Amino acid sequence: MELYLAKGEKKEKTVALDDLFLTKSLPTTAGSKMLDGYMSLFDAEVFTLLSNSGFALGGKAKVGEFAIDLLGETCYKGATEKDGKLVYAPCELVKDGEVLAALCLDANGAPRRGAAQSGLVYLKPTYGTVSRFGLVGVASSGDTVGICAETTDTVREILSVIAHHDDKDGTSLSEDACISINKEKKAAKVAVLKDFIAEAEADVQKSIYLTIEALKKSGVEVVEINSDEIAAARVAWNILMSAETCNNVSRFDGVKYGYRTQNFTNLDELYTNSRTEAFGDLIKTCILFGSETLSDKNYMKQYDKSLRIRRVISEKFALLFKSYDAVLLPATSKTSYSVEDVKENLTLCYEENKFTAPASITGLPALVAGGVQFIADAFEEGKLLCLAQIIEQEG
Amino acid sequence: MDRETLRKLAMLNQLSLNEEQKASVIAFFAKRDEELGVLNNIDTENVERMVHVCPIETVVREDVIDQKFQREDLQKGAVDTDEGYWCVPRVVE
Repeated sequence: MELYLAKGEKKEKTVALDDLFLTKSLPTTAGSKMLDGYMSLFDAEVFTLLSNSGFALGGKAKVGEFAIDLLGETCYKGATEKDGKLVYAPCELVKDGEVLAALCLDANGAPRRGAAQSGLVYLKPTYGTVSRFGLVGVASSGDTVGICAETTDTVREILSVIAHHDDKDGTSLSEDACISINKEKKAAKVAVLKDFIAEAEADVQKSIYLTIEALKKSGVEVVEINSDEIAAARVAWNILMSAETCNNVSRFDGVKYGYRTQNFTNLDELYTNSRTEAFGDLIKTCILFGSETLSDKNYMKQYDKSLRIRRVISEKFALLFKSYDAVLLPATSKTSYSVEDVKENLTLCYEENKFTAPASITGLPALVAGGVQFIADAFEEGKLLCLAQIIEQEG
Repeated sequence: MDRETLRKLAMLNQLSLNEEQKASVIAFFAKRDEELGVLNNIDTENVERMVHVCPIETVVREDVIDQKFQREDLQKGAVDTDEGYWCVPRVVE
């Protein structure tokens, strides 16, 4: 089972980057044949910050094509399986002890699903607090760099290194806002989205109720609530994500870099055959769906509507965070997925992202610990990490 | 989504689909269409669009070069170049 697309070096403090982070020393493919062998002229800002703090690059972890899939199964080098189950390569590297931590582009929740499955700690910080400079853009309005590690302390340590303002990223927030997410905070009251839990399978529900018991034992008040408008996040996010991905991958045409077909007689054939031969079925479907949502016929009723729904959901969360420190929901509906699951339904990620879409569409910070997901208000990572610490201590 | 619309959509996006892919994409679109009711159930008439999730100000920088890449380095990833240009098939007969 190969977890790397390209191997680096191993030192005391080694991290893996998923293969959407540009690096000068190793190729970057974004999990796509389109970028096979592509060498960047510069490093992602996040990697520069980590290098300057003494971290070594263990390698570029396998990732699904442009990271929109379920668990990396659309990587052009094939899915990563262990004992018949799909595993998320960046998380598996952490679980195996190969690296201290893995940094992942959270475009459609795959790292959260991977961390939940592996029992690791994963944090997707508030959108705009970690630079996206030097990452292959996918769903730009939601793309966030996430940290996966064995312990909460490691996540905290890496967060303090990478959460900084970056002039090179137009969506980077002020330095004060970025570093504010490192503040330690307490979480005393958690709301559970009970209708989301009802959509998960029995073994996921069981682990959620064990986590709830552990939180209660530590004095955290837990209250069950209805999700209301939050349930619409998946449908709206699928539209926004596909539209943005469609635009971002339109740059790949086989001319200036990336894969070029051998089979062409004119320019149209060069473009079409390069894209057709290099892109996989899921990304093609995503491109077509995204393009259709942006068409004159659908723009207002799908794309524009989804932007308004994004505000409705954000306001719903803002209201919840007046009473609660965090919201608890599953990260996945199953504890594991097989290759057969995605063979039967190539676009399963458009359905399973119902649990990850709420934090993706709002840009709110999300944490996975003990197989369970928590969402907090913007810049309240301290509360999420407090919950992770409780879960870690309670075992 | 009908086959003719899909053909135009694929052409617009510079993609070519085989019969199996066409059937799969049409089924995918049908599923997504069924879900649109979830959005329509939420009244957004007086709700502003939310393009950015965080308040973002336009970044303005001095117009100075701060990354001096060489043309030959930028062209290293290209399959076909000639004297500093990217090569594509002839477009004018």
